Amino acid sequence: MSKYAVSKRRSHRFNKMHNAGMNPRGFHVSQIKFYVLLLPLSALMLLPIIFIFSSAFKPLDELFAYPPRFFVINPTLKNFTDLFSRMSSSGVPVSRYLFNSVLITLATVAASIMVSSMAAYALSKKRFGLKRTLFAINNVALMFVPIAVTIPRFLVIERLNLLDTFWVHVLPVLALPVGLFLLKQFIDGVPDEVIEAARIDGAADWQIYWRIILPLIRPALATIAILTFQAAWNNADTSALYINHENLRTFAFYLTTLTTTTTGANAVAGQGIAAAAALIMFLPNLIIFIFLQSQVMSTMTHSGLR
Amino acid sequence: MMNRRHARGEISLRTQEALHGYAFILLWVVGFALFTFLPLIETFQYSLNRVTVTASGITLNFVEWANYTRALFTDPNFVELLIGYTVETLVSVPIVLIFAMLIAMFLNLRFRFKSVFRTIFFLPIVITSGPVIKELTAQGVASVPGITNMAAVSEFLAELPSALRSPVEYLLTSFILILWFSGVQILIYLASLQKVDRSIYEAAAIDGASGWEAFWKITLPSLATATVVNAVYTIVTLSHFSENKVIRYIYDRTYDIHGGIGYASAMSFIYFGVMVILLGIIYLSLRRWAQRGLR
Repeated sequence: MSKYAVSKRRSHRFNKMHNAGMNPRGFHVSQIKFYVLLLPLSALMLLPIIFIFSSAFKPLDELFAYPPRFFVINPTLKNFTDLFSRMSSSGVPVSRYLFNSVLITLATVAASIMVSSMAAYALSKKRFGLKRTLFAINNVALMFVPIAVTIPRFLVIERLNLLDTFWVHVLPVLALPVGLFLLKQFIDGVPDEVIEAARIDGAADWQIYWRIILPLIRPALATIAILTFQAAWNNADTSALYINHENLRTFAFYLTTLTTTTTGANAVAGQGIAAAAALIMFLPNLIIFIFLQSQVMSTMTHSGLR
Repeated sequence: MMNRRHARGEISLRTQEALHGYAFILLWVVGFALFTFLPLIETFQYSLNRVTVTASGITLNFVEWANYTRALFTDPNFVELLIGYTVETLVSVPIVLIFAMLIAMFLNLRFRFKSVFRTIFFLPIVITSGPVIKELTAQGVASVPGITNMAAVSEFLAELPSALRSPVEYLLTSFILILWFSGVQILIYLASLQKVDRSIYEAAAIDGASGWEAFWKITLPSLATATVVNAVYTIVTLSHFSENKVIRYIYDRTYDIHGGIGYASAMSFIYFGVMVILLGIIYLSLRRWAQRGLR
């Protein structure tokens, strides 16, 4: 065999490994194997979403059917009309709760991304004495059960006079250990040379942070944004524990009161309302996800993190 | 040189850098200290006391380690729950890691509609928190309840030695649930796969390495750090998952007459200890593997 033929065979093998060229423009037979594997698995990933949608429209007998059925057979809007009629019978207008939730969620997401990414930048790229200690403490806190600190946290909040204020929704969740942990890992991936180059060009620290670090870790930021959005939007505990005024409570809290205060015979009907409420609570999460996931996915290839 | 500069009241570059570092992290440290670290210390103090809540405030009776011994030696449920949790975590973590790695490698290849698939596999991060998973577990979708009642499966389970039975049973009933925990992990793997220089693969292929060899010698070692990060992340999310049985138990005991805050705090610290040990085991074994891979 000639040398040329060998190298040609090998390059063919290499190409096969990367699926017929680097940038397939259209569909190719060799791609079938990917779809065969990925399609069933992605169906598995989509199941919960489909389920949430279909169970919200299930009539009661289908909700309690055993074994549980996946798809709705006789879709009905009854769960939603029940939910809305119960909403209109409560004292405080729903729009008040919605407004609180939107404001709190926006403030939390923006502020916590700011705080966590700044801290992650310092922990990853700066040299100072307590650096290792702080990261170690964060890792320890990462592992601690959040519910165990609820009561001491209540005392701290009480001493700071934050009870029954808007800030109690935002401040305690700003310094979340998970966010710092993930962001630090991503900033570790930014090469030091990039930062050195910027420094030689005369960039100050905040400029490096703002113009270099943040754009480069956009996928991680979007991920953290999705995670904090969910945490903030779904948070009913803060309203239950730290707030006594009805008009400072969140939509999530309001929905849990609608679904859990049902007693006796209503507990059955409550299931339908709960299914409808779960869908309503879930929709903003899905919308934010769809809105931000393009950030996560598209920028990853151009992120310069190679 | 340094002394002269100090004498003139200037600060060295090093101190300046350190100060900038502290400036960046200050906000976080304040928030963390107030709302996480201080409460943590206070929780530890509670765990050594019998805590009673009265109208005028909280009273503490120092009981030394009584809460801990009660949780470990008297409580009929807690230790069993802990063992169950440990087994489940040890089963779940490798599955999540392998699944996430496989999916990430697929998604790093080039084919059509790749971005659609990436979105779908990232989707679990909006499923595993909040109302969705609550609704799903309430409706019993997250597990496959019927599967262990099927004749073939139950016979198979009966054949297994008892030490293996519960992990296998858990695996069969909760497989789907485990896979839903892999969203962020896939992302982390993808990010580090994209950092691998493609020319290394080219060079390997020219030297005659098969795709299989390239995976073991190039891909896997370059994913070592990501694997450690993912393992930590997986353990943490699994253990803080709101439907986690240990968490539910601790939560119920907190407001229970027979439990109380002190007892719940002690249980949290034991749970925390178990988690640290689990993390330590997985971290150390992965570390050794990562270093061997890099050599």
